[in-house]
Amino acid sequence: MLDLKLEDIDGILVRYNVALEKEMTPDEAAEELYPKDDLIYPVAKAIYEGEEDDVVDALQAAIDAGKKPIALIDDALMVGMGVVTQLYDDGIIFLPNVMMSADAMLAGIEFCKTQTTEIPVQKGKVVCHVAEGDVHDIGKNIVTALLRANGYEVIDLGRDVPVNEVITAVEKEKPMLLTGTALMTTTMYAFKEVNDKLLEKGIKIPFACGGGAVNQDFVSQYELGVYGEEAADASKIADAIVAGTTDITALREKFHKH
Amino acid sequence: MVKKYTSMAYASADELIFGQAKFPVKAGLGLEIGGGYTSPEVNYAPRPGAGASKEKLIKEYERITTDIMARMVQIGAPSVVLETEHVQQMSNNPDWGGAVAHAQKTIMEEYHDEYGIKCALRHTIGDIREDRNFLQLRGDKYNTFIEAFEEVANNGADLLSVESMGGKEVFDYSILRNDTAGMLFGIGVLGSMDMEMIWSDIADIAKKTGTVAAGDTDCAQANTAMFIAGGLLDKNLAHTTAIVARAISAARSLCAYEAGAVGPGKDCGYENVIIKGITGMPMTTEGKTSTCAHSDLMGNLIMECCDLWSNESVEYHGEFGGTTVQCWSETLAYDCSMMNVALKTGKAKDLRDILVLSDKFRDPQGYVLAYDNAYKVGQAIVKDGENNYLRAKNAAIECCNIVEEGAKSGKLRLTRFETNALAKVKADLEALTDDADKFVSDNLTKFKQEVAVFKPENYGL
Repeated sequence: MLDLKLEDIDGILVRYNVALEKEMTPDEAAEELYPKDDLIYPVAKAIYEGEEDDVVDALQAAIDAGKKPIALIDDALMVGMGVVTQLYDDGIIFLPNVMMSADAMLAGIEFCKTQTTEIPVQKGKVVCHVAEGDVHDIGKNIVTALLRANGYEVIDLGRDVPVNEVITAVEKEKPMLLTGTALMTTTMYAFKEVNDKLLEKGIKIPFACGGGAVNQDFVSQYELGVYGEEAADASKIADAIVAGTTDITALREKFHKH
Repeated sequence: MVKKYTSMAYASADELIFGQAKFPVKAGLGLEIGGGYTSPEVNYAPRPGAGASKEKLIKEYERITTDIMARMVQIGAPSVVLETEHVQQMSNNPDWGGAVAHAQKTIMEEYHDEYGIKCALRHTIGDIREDRNFLQLRGDKYNTFIEAFEEVANNGADLLSVESMGGKEVFDYSILRNDTAGMLFGIGVLGSMDMEMIWSDIADIAKKTGTVAAGDTDCAQANTAMFIAGGLLDKNLAHTTAIVARAISAARSLCAYEAGAVGPGKDCGYENVIIKGITGMPMTTEGKTSTCAHSDLMGNLIMECCDLWSNESVEYHGEFGGTTVQCWSETLAYDCSMMNVALKTGKAKDLRDILVLSDKFRDPQGYVLAYDNAYKVGQAIVKDGENNYLRAKNAAIECCNIVEEGAKSGKLRLTRFETNALAKVKADLEALTDDADKFVSDNLTKFKQEVAVFKPENYGL
């Protein structure tokens, strides 16, 4: 078999990921971001580590020490998840870490809810679905996990969702954002039908679409469409809406990269 | 009872070469796949909205077929294979699939009769065995699924394939949580069980109809891992984890050939290099010519031992140089021409090695799928070939060893993150039992609790 000398490889390809890897380890970077409060720190750390039982134990300790369960959602759980999402956005940790942290955070929220009669306030409501005819839902599952991790209430309609069911859910839930994912060119056509039926009913909310064969050109063809290239874009689009950018054209300006 | 592979078809990795398979397959109108030459295999998707009616869909595939055949004749390509991956309407309504196959084959026969161009038609049935919330691998949906194969086989399809989804519900959950045992359970155990069931039935249909049971791919799982892993700078999954999923997938996709499939394996099965080494059967692969569908970090390397060379899939529409299927079929045909010249001039192994070396050190995925290393994964599989679980685990461990050795040599450079992820996967694997029954029992209990959509009855468990 022919072979290359070690010194010849760099002229043929560049491992940019190796060349640009951050010096700091993920654990070190997380340590710098944790809140310093003695009761909040263990919650945040347990979320980063994705340890559900440790999250609940740390929350119990904080409640025993006098912290209010409802306040712990914002002050401890969301802060801990904020550490995780910042590390992910900075390219220091990878998606599976975020998913495990999100699971741990949700377990923590459920625990807090059992300790109080107060109802937690969330950043906003998002309806998520996979296009009619399409059962590929791993992308949607990532989107919903990241949205929840960022403090949004998610109404997950599941996969292969009939167009009319999406419309009914939007009418009932009145979300700030609708998301749609699809793997196949043949199923993504349903997005346009959703768009048209929403407009018929006079509903004008941003409709973030992405996944598989979905591309910016296609999504730009219907009035409410905003293209998200990455699953993480969904929560960024939601954040932009919360921050006041509700106009579709302005959202496209911000998120359409091509 | 299926016959499991316990030895390699080739005595050494060096015998693996494009255009030549130990067991070539005659198919369609004059083709011998793996018989000393490569052919383009063109794949396409109808435009959005084309599936609105049966008539509209047939018309779309007639246009696609005519465009490809015409371009192949225009540039003097000696052979071509067309692959129609069913949209769901065609598999859910088997008569639609049959009608499309008939329309396509009629056009291909006209070109064959007039110009003598060798050609064959592959139909890849959609894995429709699911309802809104769950996989439904057995029962009514299965009957429709099998009927879809029969319809296309009776109406002109020459090669029968599918990208089956057994184990995907567990795999999807596990890959997003770095759960190594879950990856192994989803692909290596559940996926293999489902493959053995469906491919026995597909092979029977092929025998009955005089068609070819061509093979499956682990697109639903190993390609999911590869796509989540993405490019060098993406941060969604360690590429060292993705290649372990791929190695496991070879043990799973092999089940089709043990149950009666004979090749050519389907294009998006990047595990096909390993499978060719084990079975000696012809394989389709895709790489630089499938950039219209996705990016893969091994665009040249994966051409190393293909018998058909594919573009994965492209949406049918116009480009400056013609329709997309014309442009991509032409590109494929010129690649095949280059490989065929190498075969005729005695330079095939040199060309193969140049293709491999251009990508071998780009990423751990290409490194393991380079034919010398892929052959080693194959050997690890056949060592315990009778046991679906053990052979999948062997493949995963061998994959880890190969990447470690590559890193040690200094040629395969890994990020610290990839190195750590690799160490975790390997430690997880080494901690697993060798007792298949215990592994299945433990994971059945675990995933019944953790994955709400996992239904053991889908696997007869």
